[in-house]
Order: sequence, then C-alpha cells, then structure tokens
Amino acid sequence: MAEIDFYDSKYYENRELSWISFNERVLSEARDKSLPLFERLKFLSITASNLDEFFMIRVASLKDMVHAGYTKPDIAGLNAEEQLELIQERAHELVNLQYSTYNRSLLPSLKQHGMVLVSAHEELTKDQMSYVDRYFEENIYPVLTPMAMDSSRPFPLIRNKSLNIGALISKKGENSEDFATVQVPSVLPRIIQLPDGRDGKKYAILLEEVIERNIGKLFLNYDVVCAHPYRIMRNADLTIDEDEAADLLKEIQKQLKRRQWGEVIRLEADEGMEKSLLRILKKEFNIKDSDIYSINGPLDLTFLMKMYGMPGFDEYKVKPYRPQPVPAMMNEEDIFTQIRNGDILLHHPFMTFDPVVNFVKQAAKDPDVLAIKQTLYRVSGNSPIIAALAQAAENGKQVSVLVELKARFDEENNIIWAKMLEKAGCHVIYGLVGLKTHSKITLVVRREEDGIRRYVHLGTGNYNDSTAKLYTDLGLLTCSEAIGEDATAVFNMLSGYSEPKSWNKLVVAPIWLRKRFVKLIQRETKHAREGKQAHIIAKMNSLCDKEIIANLYEASAAGVSVELIVRGICCLKTGIPGVSENISVRSIVGNFLEHSRIFYFHNNGQEEIYMGSADWMPRNLDKRVEILFPVENPRLMEEVRHILDIQLADNVKAHVLAADGTYEKIDKRGKVLLNSQQYFCDEAISRAAQPEEEVNDRLFIPAEPIEMD
Amino acid sequence: MRITTFAAIDVGSYEVEMKIFELSSQKGMKEIDSIRRRIELGKDVYATGKVSVAKVEELCALLQDFVVIMEGYKVDAYRACATSAIREAESQLILVDYIEKQTGLKLEVLSNSEQRFLDYKCIASRENEFNKIIQKGTAIVDVGGGSVQISLFDKDSLVTTQNMRMGNLRIREKLADLQCSESHSEKLIEELINNELSSFEKLYLRDREIQNIIIVGDYISEIMEKPSVTRAEFMEIFNSISGCSPEEIAEKNEIPVESASLIMPSMVIYKRMVEEIGAETIWMPGLNLTDGLAFDYAQKKKILKFGHNFDNDIIASARNMAKRYMCSKAHIKTLEELALAIFDKTKKIHGLSARERLLLQIAVILHGCGKYVSLSNVAECSYSIIMATEIIGLSHSEREIIANVVKFNTMDFDYYDKLSSYTSINQREYLLIAKLTAILRIANALDRSHKQKFKNVKISLKEKELIILVETDEDITLEKGLLPEKAAFFEEVFSLEPVIRQKKKI
Repeated sequence: MAEIDFYDSKYYENRELSWISFNERVLSEARDKSLPLFERLKFLSITASNLDEFFMIRVASLKDMVHAGYTKPDIAGLNAEEQLELIQERAHELVNLQYSTYNRSLLPSLKQHGMVLVSAHEELTKDQMSYVDRYFEENIYPVLTPMAMDSSRPFPLIRNKSLNIGALISKKGENSEDFATVQVPSVLPRIIQLPDGRDGKKYAILLEEVIERNIGKLFLNYDVVCAHPYRIMRNADLTIDEDEAADLLKEIQKQLKRRQWGEVIRLEADEGMEKSLLRILKKEFNIKDSDIYSINGPLDLTFLMKMYGMPGFDEYKVKPYRPQPVPAMMNEEDIFTQIRNGDILLHHPFMTFDPVVNFVKQAAKDPDVLAIKQTLYRVSGNSPIIAALAQAAENGKQVSVLVELKARFDEENNIIWAKMLEKAGCHVIYGLVGLKTHSKITLVVRREEDGIRRYVHLGTGNYNDSTAKLYTDLGLLTCSEAIGEDATAVFNMLSGYSEPKSWNKLVVAPIWLRKRFVKLIQRETKHAREGKQAHIIAKMNSLCDKEIIANLYEASAAGVSVELIVRGICCLKTGIPGVSENISVRSIVGNFLEHSRIFYFHNNGQEEIYMGSADWMPRNLDKRVEILFPVENPRLMEEVRHILDIQLADNVKAHVLAADGTYEKIDKRGKVLLNSQQYFCDEAISRAAQPEEEVNDRLFIPAEPIEMD
Repeated sequence: MRITTFAAIDVGSYEVEMKIFELSSQKGMKEIDSIRRRIELGKDVYATGKVSVAKVEELCALLQDFVVIMEGYKVDAYRACATSAIREAESQLILVDYIEKQTGLKLEVLSNSEQRFLDYKCIASRENEFNKIIQKGTAIVDVGGGSVQISLFDKDSLVTTQNMRMGNLRIREKLADLQCSESHSEKLIEELINNELSSFEKLYLRDREIQNIIIVGDYISEIMEKPSVTRAEFMEIFNSISGCSPEEIAEKNEIPVESASLIMPSMVIYKRMVEEIGAETIWMPGLNLTDGLAFDYAQKKKILKFGHNFDNDIIASARNMAKRYMCSKAHIKTLEELALAIFDKTKKIHGLSARERLLLQIAVILHGCGKYVSLSNVAECSYSIIMATEIIGLSHSEREIIANVVKFNTMDFDYYDKLSSYTSINQREYLLIAKLTAILRIANALDRSHKQKFKNVKISLKEKELIILVETDEDITLEKGLLPEKAAFFEEVFSLEPVIRQKKKI
C-alpha cells in the first residue's frame, strides 16, 4: 500500500463550511419541536447573530484575500475565491432554512400559544392601526432622519448592520422616481407591543412595519411608490482576523490602496422589493447578485432574543437552572482550608461560580494574603471580581492583573475597568506584544505558618460571572506546590520577565503547548503500534489545526481509538479508509454553550487528563498565551472522566459527524435518553443535597446565597 | 517555625536575576520565586568600558520592579550584587550611587574572587554530592559572561583557582564583527579559548589527575537534560548540536531564543574544558550566584549549619600560593601559632572578629612570598604578588589589607595621611592594617632566626605588658635583642609592651 500523506488537503474540511454546519446544528435546535417554543426563538436568534459575526469576520477576511490577490490555499486546498463561492451557496441555504423555520413553524406556534406577531402593517385591525399611528407620531417620528437621493444629493452613507427602509418616491404630479432611505432607529425597541386582543392574545408588530405604514409622512411633497426594509454588512473591521497568516497581513498592507474600505459584502433585502429599487441598491452598494440575500420575513432575526425576554410565557421556556453549591465547599471552613483539604473541581454552570468570586473576595480581605494575580480576558460589566481586586489593592495586597485589551468586541469595555483597577492601586499588565492572553489563571500568595503557600485557580472559561451561568466550563482550585511555582512563573513571564528554566506541571502556549499535544498523541500512536490499548478523548470548541489533525489521522491509522467532542468547527473528516476510521466526532449543542476543553490520554493504563484554555486551533497554539494543566488527583480524574463519559453517551443533544461531512443526531430508538447537560444539572442538585461524607458531622450551611440576576 | 524571607539579586553581565528564598533551619533553603530579565550590560562595558544611559535606565526600572516584588513578599533582608559588567565599568562608583538613589537598593560590586567564592559555596552546600565528588581530583569550571573561573581540588582541598577573561558574552562580542558560518565561528571560538587555556594547562594541569568537572553556568543543564553525564555522553550531545544554528539549539532544548547567541560560545567553552581537563564525569548542579548569596546569608545568620569549613578553603588556597613561591613552611607554621595566639589574647584590646583573624593568618602565610622574586626587596615584591593574585573568598579590599600588612611588616609604617594619599584605603581599613601589622611584626620578630625556637609559647597579659613566655633551652639572644625595635609599633597601637620571658627546661 502506498504511504498515506496525512497532510493531504483532501483529508480536510474547509473551516468556514464546517462553521456553517455548526450554525445549522444550532438552527436544528430552533426546529426541534420537542423544545419549548421560546427556547426555539432563542436558538433562531443565535443563528442570526452568529451569521452576522461570521460575515463580518470571516467572509470579510476572505474578501480581503481576494482583493489582495492572495491565493494560498486553506487547509482543504481551497483558495479564497473558491471558498467564497461555496460559502455563498451554503449561506443562502441556511438563510432560507432560517426563514422557513420562522414562517412555517415559529410564527404559527406563537400565535397558537397566544402571541400574535403581526407580519405586515396591512394586517392590523383598525384599533391597532390608530394605536401604531399615534405611537409613530409620539415616539418614532421625532428620531427619524429620512434622506433622499437626487441629482444634487448623493447616495447617503448607510451604516453597517443598521436596518433601513428604502423607498422610491416621486414628486407629486411628476413621473420620475427618486431613491429615499430612512434608518430604522436602533434606539427604539424593535418589537412594539399592541394592546391585548379581545381574544385574550398578546399582539405585537415590528418597528419597521410601523415606519413603513407611515412613510408617506416623511416625504410630504412626494408619493411613495414603494418601501421595503434592507440591511447591509460592510467590511469595516480594520483589523485582520488573527487566524490569518502573517504573510496575508503583509500582502494586504502592500496593497493597501486596493483594499476597498467599507466595502459592502452582504445585502439583505425584503423579498418583495421592487426590481427597480433593488437595482439602485445593487448599483450604489456595488454588490454582486450572489451577495444579495432576499429575505422572506423580517430582517435581522436577533429581535427574537428580545421576544424571549418578554415577560410571561414562562411555560414555554426552560425553567431557569440554579447553579448548585460545590459539595466540597459546603462547610464553614474558609476557602483556603477547603483547598488545603484537597483539590476542588468546579463544573460550571452546574456548580456555582461563586467559589471563584469568593476566592478573590476572601483573598482580598485575608490578612495573611500577600498578593493576588489574575488574568482577565472578558469580564462582565459589573464584575464582582474586579471590585474584589480593587478592594484587595486598597487593603494593601499586591495585586497584578493581566488585562487582555484585544478581546474581540470588548476593547472599549476592557479599557474602562482596566483604568479603574489602576486607580485602585492594582498593577495592570497589558500582556505580551503580539500575543493575546487567553489563559485563565488566578494566583493567591499567602504567608502561612510554614512559609509561603500558593493557591491557584485554573479554568477553561473566562472570569465572567454572567457567562459562567451559560457556558459549560471546568475549573480547578489547588494549592499544589508544583502548580503554584508554575503559576508564579506564568505571571513573571506575562510581566515581561524571562521564561522559567523549566515547568513542573503547566504547559504554556505559544512555546510549549503544540509540541506537548503532538507528543501526547504520538505516544498513543506508539502504544497502538506496540499492540497496546490506546485511546484519546478530546473535548474542545474547535478543531482546525493541521498538524494536530494529521497526528490524529496517524494515530487512528495505527489503531488508536479517538473520540472527539467538538462543539463548533471541525476540519477533521471521519470515516476515511486507512486515515480516520477510528475517529469519531460528536458535537453537543444544548441550552448551555459547551466551552470546556478536556484532553484524555490512555497512556498504556497510566491515564493522563488535561484541561485548559486552548482549542486545537492554530491561533490558540501559536498566537496566544494559553495554559494546559493536568488533573492529577485520582478522585478528580475520575470525576472528569465521568463528565467525558456522560458526554459521549449523550443521545439527545449530540450530533455525530458522518463520513459524508454531515452531522446527524443519534438514532434514539430503543435507547434510554440521555441529555448530558440535563444529567449534570440533576447530578449537581442531588450531590448538593447530600454533601460529602467526610464532613457529615458538621452543620450544613450553603457557602453563600446564590445571586440571581 | 521561624522563616526568614530573603531576596538575592544578581546584576550579571547579560542577565539580571532576583530569587526569593525562604530560609529556615527545618527546611533549609527554599526558592519560592525567580525573576529574570535579559539586559546585556557586558556588551557595552566589554567594548567601551561604559554602560549606556539606556541600559542604566532599563536596569533601574527593573530593579524598581524588584523592590516592589520584594515588598510583596515582605522580605526580611536582601543582598544585591553586581559582577563583572559593573565591576569593569569605568564609572562603577557613579553607577552604584545612581542606582541606589533611583531604586533604594544598595548594590554591592563583588570582586571576582568573592563572586566565585559564593558560587563555590553554594555548590559545596550540596554536601552529599559535593563531598563525594571532591574526594577525587575535581575542577570547578564557572562560566560567566565576562570570564571563566577554574578551581582545582585535590583530595578535598582547594589547590588553585584561576580566572580567564573569556566569558561567553565577551567571546561573542569579540567575534561579533567577523561574518562567518556556524561551523567556522565554532572554530574561531575554540582558537580564542585554546590560547588562554594552554598557559593554564602548563601551569596547573600537568601531572594532575582530574576525574570530575563541576560546571556552573547557563544553558548546559538544559542541553544535557540530566544533572550528571559521562564524558562520552557529553561529547555525543555536543557533536549532535555542533553545526546547528543557535536558534535551532535553543528551540530544541527549550532555551529562550533571546539567549541563542550565547549558547555556542558557552558550549565551546564547556567542551574545551572537558577535553583539556580530561575528566570522566561532568556534574551540573544548576546553581548560580543568587543561590550562593542566599546560602551565605543563611550561614552567616546561623539559620543553616554547615559541616564544611569555608575558611579552610581560603587558607588552603593561600597555602598553595605560599608553596608556589617557596615560602618556608616551618617558619610560617611557627608564625601562625604566635600571631594567632597574640591576636586571641589581645581580643579585648583590638576588638576584632574571626574574619580579621583569618586575614591575619593569611598575611602570615603570605608574608614572605616576595622572596621568590627578590631577596632585597621582599616587602614590595610580596605586596605586588598579593595584589596580583586572586585568593578565592577574599574581597579586593581584604586582599589589599593583607598586602599592606605584609608590606609594613618590614617597611616603615605609613600613617593615615600618607597611606590615604596613594591608596583608596579608608580609616576603618587603615586601623585594621595597623593592628594586624603590629601583631605580625611581633610574631615575625620572635622567629627572626627562622629556627623555630619559640615553640612552646604562652602569651599572657599583665598590666601593660604582653608577656611572651617561651619554654626553650636554645639561645634566644637574637630575638630578645631585636624585639624592642618591633615592639615600639605594637606598643603604639595596643599600649602594651611585649616582654619575652624564657623558661629553661633544665
């Protein structure tokens, strides 16, 4: 048999198409009739905002490549132009599916359940009409800025992602038609609630419909020939997506002149829009047919998230889950004693995030604590952690905070609280040039009877108490000396000092992590070749690193059983004879966003389990500061292994990647249903009800009341 | 448990490092943090004799950070030392003062011998391994940025220590302007080293069997991957990286790439040492100056007790020096007994400590070394030899004190006004010189004949007299007669009149 080249691009899936598959899986949740109706609205909304981000970052980036004449093929051997073509095709299909779901399934169901969203203003009753007209005059009219285009006025600037209504108008008594446009104001609620109907149902209409109905009032000396909503997406992001190669950046810089700043890369227009109106938009936005999406329904479905938040309808939503206390921490000891009693595993959001916040809070006021060091990537607006850090600095602790300013979309927010921390006396570090700090680590240095002791929290998710209620993440609280030393070294390195001469336990990207992963995979391959049992289980958000995938292929070919749980992008293909027959890929899309990264290696019986902040993506392995940490306590290893096992057994929310590249749900016939996220919720509740045996002689008081917001 | 937190700072020629230690009698020395940053001070100094303003500012900023970190750990004490880069800077004093004003840190500039002694001390602190190794002939090769120190041990005593100005940074800078390939530059480095090494070989390595090398220096541990290797293993690893680019070696061995340029010079030095010395085992304890500073502090504060007597190492190297210059062993032995006995008896009057006693002993050991050069000008020649020879464990100023004591042993004493007019001796040092000189002169006078007549001597104080009771049947007329000449100065210093009393056995 000829030697197989595991790096051959034919063995790889394009990452953009794989991403679209992921969004399709989210959409399938919106289509799942077994889910409560309002949850389905939420999922549909998520697919819409996902798609917007995808266009803004990824499609924009591919367009840049085309303009720059950059022809280097991607992991699957496709150049930018080829990718765009395939993306357009799939994106159009996705949008069609979004709207057929909306129109055929969700709207009728809403109506059935007492919520009527009037699709067109023409369908309003008389009373409703007069209500919206008054609403228009009182609330909408004052904030509208209609703009017309004629020989003396050029085409106005249309803002990125804004919803607009385009119209053709003609001067009364004249024949010629002019273009006019008005932005649907983003300051007003998109959903306008109407007075309840006599049938007891709730009624609502979208803002743009009300504007459309009254558009004549904006152009008094004109007749409005037609008016329809449209929306554009621009290539306005000045930064290059960090996933792209550095040589692309150079290429683009060289061709700066040729880059079309603010180029429109997508136009969404109401399906019923007149050809003549569409022609004007197409010409003014200079856009190809394939980039035009004609929409059968309201543009920008993200308003559905607002609908989800509407009061009432609780019976059509999943009952909010209350994160449970952590059994090992359900005693009156202080958190440092609890950690000294043994490493503690935190599984969010099934377990509460409070211990992480309390860790910092208690450290801030503990008289023996000398220093607190923490990395912050994305932090919630009113973060209790930030407040605790500031408090610690005021209490005279040495507080160092590494703030990653470049966290996407959050920059401005980050600068504000970074300044706040500085004012409080914290030492704020802004990370290493050219590397985003993605690792999540907190170090508390405490002076104790027998010397310095270091307490460390390591996590797979951000220090964000809001997302900790939505993202599944794992955390470890430990005072292991080896990890403590490494943690100190991490912060020294982040402060710009030299790397340590060696690491005890932690594996840090960008220098050491990739090599370690490859080594761990190759060790399994070696074991398989020697006829020993070999097994890898890896859970992550995305898998698109070529070197890692090639090594997984090699492992599979050698007989290693590889079980992957990849929520999002996966460039690995399963079921290729001689290449990936021993690899399975599943994706769990559920109520919580799967976010933890866990890596299990059988290692000939000497099992090793790692967790960390990094996906198997080039950007995580090469361009970020990431930390991978081992779970070594046998009790915790068992617990993590249990989490993996349950996820692998999930047959409700898991989609399995087939050899043809499609994701299918598991055939449930004759099986006991297992929804892993639900399982973990139930398990956390029952564990919290019967705390650990070794503390059974104590009075149980929950560590902290759980905050709900 | 009593724990002392100690910070050790090493301002080296290419790296500045601070280590934080917890010192306790129960747990010994425990490193709890190590913070390093690369600042190539030596690069400027070795070429121009000066440190650039930019580097000084960088250093100050870094030391300020260190101060903050020290406060964070609430350290009880610190010691900040600079080595060859600052030592060789023309503006040393100005620099040290500026750094102190900017950072509040008192920076000590170590002489080479002090620095190496600290390195040596921390190796020796690994008692178990160290004591075993030095049973056989052992060389400690201590490679720094500016120079290399080679110390030879024979049956657990220090034979000699020599400094060669061919540190890794200095070599790199020497070759910096020559454009050459990797393999070619390896050859050039070797040539540079061979030149220096050949004289060392002739002087010290001939007829000596050395089986072990202890290597102190950067990068070697990372490349060798284990703390001890055989010569064959060493050469195999060296050959495997020979010809590779420094960046490749750095990446392969997980050495920060910023250090890449120093790897090759270091490796060639190590390799040439291993070849030249012909040792079979190479031990790399992976310690550096900061460990030595902490150990030294712990020892001085009696936090750590330690079996090995380091003063003996200093004495041993002084004795080896005396042997090289063919001083009379018997004469020295008698003089040591006499001088130290006088020192001990007059402790209340001179108020000096054990360290000064050691200086006296070394002055005695070396007082006649100048005879090797000239019999008529012994004092000046001894002075010059001592000033030109490093004695491990002694600071420059201590060596200068010894040299002066030896000089004034026979020459007229220069009082402070005169002495300070041609040296940088300060008042404290001057007083010490005076006291030690006074004792040495008396001791020397008692063995004027070099016949060791004064063997069983009892020294005692009585009123204003220093009674030297000697039990001998020999004729001590010469000594008795010549004593007053030397006693005048002793009396001047101590207000005691030395008096000889003879007790005959018969």
